[in-house]
Amino acid sequence: MGYARIGNWPRNRMTLLCAVMLIIFVAFCPSHSPAADITFSSKTYLLYQKKDSAGSAAKTFAPLYEYFSADARQLGGSSFSFHFSGWGRTDLRDQTGESATTGELGNAYLQYLHPTGNGEMRLGRFFLTEGAAAEIMDGIYLKGRTALGLGVSLYGGVPAEDSITSTQTGRSLYGGRLFYAKPGLAEIGLSYLQETGPFQGKDRTEIGGDLWLRPATFLEIIGRATYNEATQAMASQRYLLRLTPINAIDLSVGYEAYNYKDLFQTTLNPAFEFPALDDKDRVQTAFVLLEWKLVKSVALTLGAKNIKHDTVAIGNANRGEVGLKYTYNNLRDAAGVSAALVNADREENAYQEYRGYATYSPASWRFTLDALTQQYQQAINAVSQSYQVVGSAGYQLSESMQLSGDMRYTRSPRYDEDYAGFIRVSLLLDTTTGGKK
Amino acid sequence: MRRAGQEIIRVGIIIILLVGCSALSQSPSVPPKHPEELAGRTQVDCLECHSDLSTGALKPYTSFSHSTAFVRYHGLYSRQGQNLCQTCHGASFCQGCHARREELLPGIRQGDRPDLALPHRGDYLTLHQMDGRMDPGSCFRCHGNKNDAQCRTCHR
Repeated sequence: MGYARIGNWPRNRMTLLCAVMLIIFVAFCPSHSPAADITFSSKTYLLYQKKDSAGSAAKTFAPLYEYFSADARQLGGSSFSFHFSGWGRTDLRDQTGESATTGELGNAYLQYLHPTGNGEMRLGRFFLTEGAAAEIMDGIYLKGRTALGLGVSLYGGVPAEDSITSTQTGRSLYGGRLFYAKPGLAEIGLSYLQETGPFQGKDRTEIGGDLWLRPATFLEIIGRATYNEATQAMASQRYLLRLTPINAIDLSVGYEAYNYKDLFQTTLNPAFEFPALDDKDRVQTAFVLLEWKLVKSVALTLGAKNIKHDTVAIGNANRGEVGLKYTYNNLRDAAGVSAALVNADREENAYQEYRGYATYSPASWRFTLDALTQQYQQAINAVSQSYQVVGSAGYQLSESMQLSGDMRYTRSPRYDEDYAGFIRVSLLLDTTTGGKK
Repeated sequence: MRRAGQEIIRVGIIIILLVGCSALSQSPSVPPKHPEELAGRTQVDCLECHSDLSTGALKPYTSFSHSTAFVRYHGLYSRQGQNLCQTCHGASFCQGCHARREELLPGIRQGDRPDLALPHRGDYLTLHQMDGRMDPGSCFRCHGNKNDAQCRTCHR
């Protein structure tokens, strides 16, 4: 299992962290009072896939995955909870990755949720989104808001990253956010993030601003901008104006811009580094998206997007899309069709996409069918169209257990034939051990 | 700048710990778990039961209506408050897509949920070349410094 190594940090760092959490866990959940609201989830997947690509021998893959998560809330009747999730894989046929077995620790953290003021503490490994941060980290996070609406959040620890190069990942990560929230009207935040590490010769230092405004009940303005202190320039901006004049209509108009050099300075993935990308380029995107509920069960989606590059050689593109979704069977089922058309200055970037799907859930059964095709304006490996069809059938064996299986066929420029079977067994157990509810 | 930042964080943590919870607002927080079971439906509309503000998030429930726009740009909302997401979706939901390391695409794991707006359906291995050339920032959000093991084959 390779999940315990993070950059240069040794495996025993996670062991130490887990030990500290276990001590706190035991302290708040003594054996003579094991009160808690506990949820276990186990999802076992077996993928069986045959791939036949031109110029290489056909391969058969059969990885077996186990995804497990557990949440213990209201430990000892308190506001503390413990959350855990992770997955493991073993290959039953040809090797799918670098090793025949591997796994990953997703979450393992103790959480305290204060009953008022949205006060929160997390300790352990967790995924955090806060201002400039969208990180998986091993560490601590604190947040709270005062009666005046002023609030602060702080976090610090070690980033849990994964680099595809042999270089180190980030060594430490800390930051915080100051914010002010006026109920129903506005929230504005200023955040700071510092990550030490090998980010193209510099540390990662970001200053972020975020805004949510609701000047009228039918209008929201929400946005976020990040300044890269290492490159001394604005890295990215995204703004969205969302209009809901009536419940049936959700209209969004947005703008986004980023500079390659300033946004991608923080990458560990060479796909985002020069010369893979022209780091002088800048992208500006304008988009509009409408969702209109024609009747309660039918929704129409219309969208358009313009992508503009400063570098002429890359070329610009326009994307248009339309979709229709119908829900039925007391919201248990849905059917939909959609189409997208991408026109680009460069032929190699242009394509069309069409999709249709339907689900049907009589009693304890569930059947689904999903078909998708993409047509490329410029053929790839002499193939100008790919398509994929997925059929699924499932049965709810009991209130907590479900069994289902998929068959998937893909035809693409990369594989002449790609058949896959997928079996999933889902188990969800929810129990209370006598705690205060 | 870095030292100043570290100092600010240290002082801030000390202040928070010293002042503790007494300074917190008395308005109720976001609950740790939604009181009613929401599973088994294609889409839940918060407005079926809620019509006012979330006292924890301090935003109206209409903001969190899972329209196509909300699902596509949910990151803007989550950067201001993640715990409301967890109330209904649970603690590990986000990492179904935003993982440090993931091998199974969400669309494969949930092949029985074609109604969900999951990323990378179909032959995305081919399509990512086009989307990546046109808008690499959309890839960067999830694959910039994590979850990039699948990139290894070509991007060295």
